[in-house]
Amino acid sequence: MIGPFKKRTPHPHPLPSSGEREFRAVLMALIGLTLMSCQPKSDVTEVTVQRIFGECRANVPQGQAPIKNPDGECEVVTHLLDEFQKANPDIKLKVNIAPWPGYDQLSAQFASGDPPDIATMHMSAMPDFASRGLIEPLDGGFKEVSLDVDNFTPAARNGVTIDGQVYGMPFDNWTQLWHVNMNLFAKAGLVRDGQPILPRNPDELLAQARQFKAKTGLPYLLQPTDNERAAFTRNLFTYLLDQKAVVFSDPKTIRLNTPEARRIVNLFKQIYAEGLMAPGQDYPAAMAAFLNGEGGICLVGTWMIGTFEAEANTAGRPLYQGYTVKPYPMLYGTEQAAFVDGHAWVMPKRDRTPAERAAVLKLMKFLQVHDYDWARTGHLPTQKDVAQSAQYLSLPHRNDIVALASTGKTLPAGVERQFAIQDIVGDEMASAIRGHKSVDAALSDAEHRVNDLLFHVLSRQDR
Amino acid sequence: MTASDNKRLRDVALLATLVVLGFIMLVPLMWTVLLSLKSNSDLLQSTANAFHGPYTVENYAAITKSSGVFRWLMNSVIVSGLQTIGVLVLASLAGYGFARLEFPYRDQIFLLVLFGLAIPEQAVIITRHQLFTGLHLHNSYPGLILPGLAAPFGVFLMTQYFKAIPKELDEAAILDNASRFKIFWKVLLPLTIPAQATLGIFTFLGSWNDYWWPLISATRADMFTLTVGLSASQINFAQTSGLGYLMTQAVFAAVPILIVYIIFQKYIVRAVAGAAIR
Repeated sequence: MIGPFKKRTPHPHPLPSSGEREFRAVLMALIGLTLMSCQPKSDVTEVTVQRIFGECRANVPQGQAPIKNPDGECEVVTHLLDEFQKANPDIKLKVNIAPWPGYDQLSAQFASGDPPDIATMHMSAMPDFASRGLIEPLDGGFKEVSLDVDNFTPAARNGVTIDGQVYGMPFDNWTQLWHVNMNLFAKAGLVRDGQPILPRNPDELLAQARQFKAKTGLPYLLQPTDNERAAFTRNLFTYLLDQKAVVFSDPKTIRLNTPEARRIVNLFKQIYAEGLMAPGQDYPAAMAAFLNGEGGICLVGTWMIGTFEAEANTAGRPLYQGYTVKPYPMLYGTEQAAFVDGHAWVMPKRDRTPAERAAVLKLMKFLQVHDYDWARTGHLPTQKDVAQSAQYLSLPHRNDIVALASTGKTLPAGVERQFAIQDIVGDEMASAIRGHKSVDAALSDAEHRVNDLLFHVLSRQDR
Repeated sequence: MTASDNKRLRDVALLATLVVLGFIMLVPLMWTVLLSLKSNSDLLQSTANAFHGPYTVENYAAITKSSGVFRWLMNSVIVSGLQTIGVLVLASLAGYGFARLEFPYRDQIFLLVLFGLAIPEQAVIITRHQLFTGLHLHNSYPGLILPGLAAPFGVFLMTQYFKAIPKELDEAAILDNASRFKIFWKVLLPLTIPAQATLGIFTFLGSWNDYWWPLISATRADMFTLTVGLSASQINFAQTSGLGYLMTQAVFAAVPILIVYIIFQKYIVRAVAGAAIR
């Protein structure tokens, strides 16, 4: 008889099969990973940094100084942010690199309610964002981290101050300069005591330009005339400041149909008509022409100093040992004046924790302290102590241009849509200078178009 | 001169013209590749330096060392691939429906779809951005893919293509007891492959090259597509001192598209030729 089967007592701790063991191991690993990822990261504050100036990680390996182009904008800013990160392990910088100039993305981020914690912004764009309450006034925050606004240079402070409040940490000022090919100037007989002879009034400018052309067979001036007309606008604004003209009678009214403006446009028109300025050049063509010794003076910004200086140190090149750079010579007055713009770091308005706010301010303070590093790019320093330092002044040509950090002027702080204004004015100036329109008509149209644009900008109380 | 001589002469002239035109079309591409193989400092002096050595791959090396480029490449592949698949599925089904099915207001709805062809993206971008903000879809793959799925051109193309297929094929299949879906799937869809290839490549190309929507929807670097990422990588104003790098970016962004074109060119040529004959 087959008795009843004895019921097997289960083993109190049965050995798992090999498959079960693997399964458990994987499960435990997954649980571990999940728990690790769920750990509160209370000790690390994440900050989103949005900047322009491009991506160049190839030249700046993580944790190292730049291995190539160490004074380039991209390399310097990348390294600065790396250094901040290294010095502040309790803060995690998440860096977004926006395509220049960055405002399509930034506007979209504001629209979707997710702006970065800190962003680069042109001083000329700041009124557009400040007037809408999209960026934070920073006076109080700067005091908290001992960021001394009194150390800002006059041009920098002017550029970040709107309605008496400071809205950004100025990163640099930049302006157009007269970059001079000294080898060609010598050939033209326009060098005295190792310095270029520059004009002191419109007649001298024309005379020297004619002399230059006669002796060298080359145009005196090189500047972008096609596609990129901002140079025309900057010329106009600088020489209006030279004449102490009131460009904006109030933030909504530009004055361009004036004798002062006519004087300037007529002068450049004559220069162009006499072939003293190279025609038909876009921005890269004008730069290449200067590098190849095809003109005496290149009207372009501070950011090209490093490139031209490198050429001046390269044997066999047209600029070899023959480059210098000067502020615009004053043609109407005697006091140095220059239209400047600049880059700043702003704090977009959004909900943020006190720790995030503190981290942003700490980064701004860090950038202020490292103003010299950024000034190596060619831009003007924004901190008085740097502008006066032997370290900065020993950089090539900085002695010649540093005064602009004090004398340079942005457009009045309340003027909105400055990018658009620059395009309109440059467009009309180009038409007049190239003979497509009379000077009077161009200036009248420019004034009307700009004022129409500003008329349609909603005032703060209407928003 | 005999008739055959005349014909030969005509063929030679035609061939020579095509070679010249083909060369003219290739010049910008060759110029781009040539510039990408020169150092930036050489090109800063003069772009004519591109016509002689030394050549270098340093710009390509720089691109591959860029921290985000492979991520952006993957994003572009995902977005363009899924958008293309989505458009093909939706446009085929819609095209079949409009071409073969009877339902109330069919023609009016078709007309409504066609209106989509006349509305530029710029006209709806703000409302679309706000909608996606409300749905929390920015900086996500659905956020990048979904807008492209509304493809009125695709629906129009597939509708016309389905209409051109003889209805007798459907009737024969019905006699064989085939279901609607089986007729669509087994009988008609295979006949639309050339149109699908054309639509697919145009959709892929459009999505791959799209800049504006990814620019404002993907604001986080890890969600950039290749176009936005490469644009963000440009170093200085007007990229004056990085022309070679700029051209390398263009080549780098174009290579995947070129591969897609090479794979599908048989279908594309057939579809274009078919459309011309029809």
